[in-house]
This record gives sequence, structure tokens and C-alpha cells, in this order.
Amino acid sequence: MKPPVLRCRHVTKRYGKFTALKDLSLEVYEGEIFALLGPNGAGKSTLIHCITGLAKRSEGSIEVLGFDTVNDFRTTRRLVGLVPQEIGYDPFFTPLESLMIQMGLMGVEPNRSRAESLLETFALGDKRDAYTRTLSGGMKRRLLVAKALVHDPRLLFLDEPTSGVDVELRRELWQEVEDLRTAGTTIVLTTHYIEEAEKLADRIGILHKGELLLVESRESLLERHGGRPLEDIYLELIRKADGRHAA
Amino acid sequence: MSTIALKTLFLKEVRRFSKVWLQTILSPLVTTSLYFLVFGVALGSRLREISGVPYIQFVVPGLVMMTMIRDSFLNTSSSLFQSKINGTITDILVAPIGALEMVLAYVGAAMIRAIIVGTLVCLVALSFTWFPLHHMGWTLFFTIFVTATLALLGMIVALWAQKFDHLAIFPNFVLLPLAFLGGVFYSIDLLPEPWHTVSRLNPLLYMVNGLRFGFLGVADVSPVTSAGVVLVSFLVVLVAASALLRSGYNLRT
Repeated sequence: MKPPVLRCRHVTKRYGKFTALKDLSLEVYEGEIFALLGPNGAGKSTLIHCITGLAKRSEGSIEVLGFDTVNDFRTTRRLVGLVPQEIGYDPFFTPLESLMIQMGLMGVEPNRSRAESLLETFALGDKRDAYTRTLSGGMKRRLLVAKALVHDPRLLFLDEPTSGVDVELRRELWQEVEDLRTAGTTIVLTTHYIEEAEKLADRIGILHKGELLLVESRESLLERHGGRPLEDIYLELIRKADGRHAA
Repeated sequence: MSTIALKTLFLKEVRRFSKVWLQTILSPLVTTSLYFLVFGVALGSRLREISGVPYIQFVVPGLVMMTMIRDSFLNTSSSLFQSKINGTITDILVAPIGALEMVLAYVGAAMIRAIIVGTLVCLVALSFTWFPLHHMGWTLFFTIFVTATLALLGMIVALWAQKFDHLAIFPNFVLLPLAFLGGVFYSIDLLPEPWHTVSRLNPLLYMVNGLRFGFLGVADVSPVTSAGVVLVSFLVVLVAASALLRSGYNLRT
């Protein structure tokens, strides 16, 4: 197995008295697509925020390619890309300007041809000079993916990238995720769509109430459960965990 | 420190206010020009002299400073707060950018806007009256440190604010009254006690009078005292803004 790109050790995140992540340990390996499944409020986004710097972990350590995400934040943030769950856009700038700005913010010299190439890749070439606020929801989401890639991250987080997206765009995004993996990018994906994880993921983690219930390769998980649909396996695990919590 | 990130964030902020120049450059210029017309030209013809200079000249540095105070504050506060609200602050928070780059970029851009508007106000004033530039050094000192101080204060308020109402509190209920009571339109020597002494507690008095000394060579307070107050104010907000950014206050959960 290749060395871990991401290593989380005993990570705990508290918001006041509420514990969003409980002593979570996880490794993600180079070149894989790792799908993090879990119901709303399970802690998926919190974990991603702790890794990318949007949230401060309460305990534990997080390393990206051996660099601590707090002490070596300048190094780790150059290595990581994030497609956030919420669609945020700057109304003052066009998609081309947004990408050029994001390159600079990530510490890469802004490069117009690279920005134009990304816009073409994500079918936004003809919208490069339009105000971002005039783009459709799907276009804005594609722009978010392009922004996350401006600095060629080694590790890309996609936080529910297909949430509220139509079937056609979802399939396009899946293809783009596959292409990125082929190009060598390690991908961590959170999703509500079990079908998405079943189609894309090499390994699957199930997070529930801040605890990691399971981490296993997709093939082994399906084989171990006699080829049952992943959705059934997921629901069974969540119900069992709920029963345990209730008890 | 990432110089590419610093340069990008600074230029982004400059382009942001340049794209809405009607609101960020022309609007304050028109407002201040109206003040100048009413207080300097219309009333000034009846008020003759204050501190040995014609009233119309007396109000010029005050109006320039009041404009620069407001614009430097508004530039950082509105930009940073809007980024928080529309979610684009994420672009900066996930980037390899530290508190130092954020402070330099936001404050630098705010200073540029304030100085552009301040210069334009001077040009408008010149079309009504001649005024001297008594001391270039003090003029530059107060321009640089006051705009930087207010830009830093704007960052602090933007970090603290949770809604647009919070953002409006400072310019409307703090800065504007303090600027009016800080000797923009009058000398505090005209005030009876205890208001003369109370006025000396207002930090904007020192900012206005510092620039007035730079322009006209007259002020209610010595430029050294004004410089001391401005420097202390600058250091206080610099330390506070840097500490808040480093801690991720209201930015990182």
C-alpha cells in the first residue's frame, strides 16, 4: 500500500459541550478515492474543515504528506484543494478573474492560459468574462471545482459536490473525479448519495455522530455482505449504531 | 510570508473598490464636496477667521481627514464582512495566507482608496480656495497612520459583526459623531469648559488637528501630541486585529 497522503490521529472537535468528532483516526492513501458517508450532522464537513483549516481541531493531530496542518499550514494548504459544500461566489469578478485570483492566493503566479484551460475543462470557456452571479447553479459548482484545482493539489476534498445537482451534471462531475484520480490526485469525497460512493470510491468510511463506524475497501465491504446493495449495508450500520447509542 | 498571495489579495481588494468606483470614490467625493460648499463656502464667508486662517481654508484639512477616516474604515469593514457573508472568505482561509498578509493587503488597499478620495477632495477644495501645505512630513505621517489605523479598526469590526446592522453601528454612531466633535468644522478653543476638556478625550480630534497642522501650520493640539495619540491608537488596533486574525475569531470555527 502507498504511503498515506492524509493521516488523522485521535482527532476530536468540540463546539462548546457538543462533540462533533470523537477520537477519530483515519488514513487516506495516495491516488485513491475515499468516500466518507454519513447522515446529516455526522461530522463529515467538520472533519474536512479541520483538515483544510476552516475549523480548529480540539485534540489530536492531522498530517498531509507528513506535514502538520496547524504548524506547517502554509505547506499543507498548498497541497490541499477544497470544493466546499456551500456555493460562495464573489459578485465583483468573472470566472476568469476568480481563477486567476485563486491561483495567486494559493501562492502560484497567476497564469491566464492555465485559467482558460481550466475553464474549458469545466465547460465554462464561453462564460469566462460573464459576472459570476449570472451563472447557473451547476456552472457555479463547476467553477468551485475549477478554483479548487488552480494549484494542482495532491489531495482534493469534495464536500457533497453533487448536492442539489441534476443527473446530467452529476454524471459529468463523476467523470471529472475519475479523470482527476487518473491524473494522480487523491480524492476525499463526502456524499449523501450511496450510488455515488458505490460508483467512484476505492474505500469507504462511514461516519455517524462524530464516530467512524467503518473504513473498508468497497470491494471487500460488498463481498463481506454477500453482494447486498451498499445502501442496505449503510442503513444497517447506521441503525445498529443508533441502537447502541440509545442503549 | 507568501509575496504572491499578498500581492494578489492586495490587487483583488483594489480592483474590488475600483469596480464600484461610483460608490467608493465618487459618492464620498460628492458628499464631502457638499459639506465644503455648505460649511466652507456658504457659512465661511460670514465666519471670517479661525486660529488666524480664513474659515474656508480651516475646514479643508478637517474634511479631507473626515473623508479618509470614513473611507479607510468602510473599505476593510465592508469587504471583509461581505466575504464572510457570501462565503468567499473560504478562498482565503484555505489558502497559505497568514494574518500578516491579510493585514497588509486589506489595510494597504483601504489606504489607497482613502488617499485617492482625500486627494480628490483636496482638488475640489482647490477649485474654491487656495490653501498651503505647511509641512509635508506631518501631512504624510498623519495620512498614512490615520488611514492605516481606521482600516485596522474596520477589520476588527468586520470580524466581530454578525449582521449588517452591526457593521453600520461604527460609522454612523461612533465615527461620524466623533469626527464632527473632533474639530472638523471648529476649533475646540471656541468651546467652554467642560466641553473643551471632554473634546480632548476624542482620538479623532488629534487626527484632524494633526492633518490641519500639516496643511495650515495651525492646530488646537501640538503635532507631537497628536502623533503620539495616533501612534498609540495604531499600535492598539494593529495588535488587536493581528491577534483576532491569528486566533481565527469568527472566521475559523
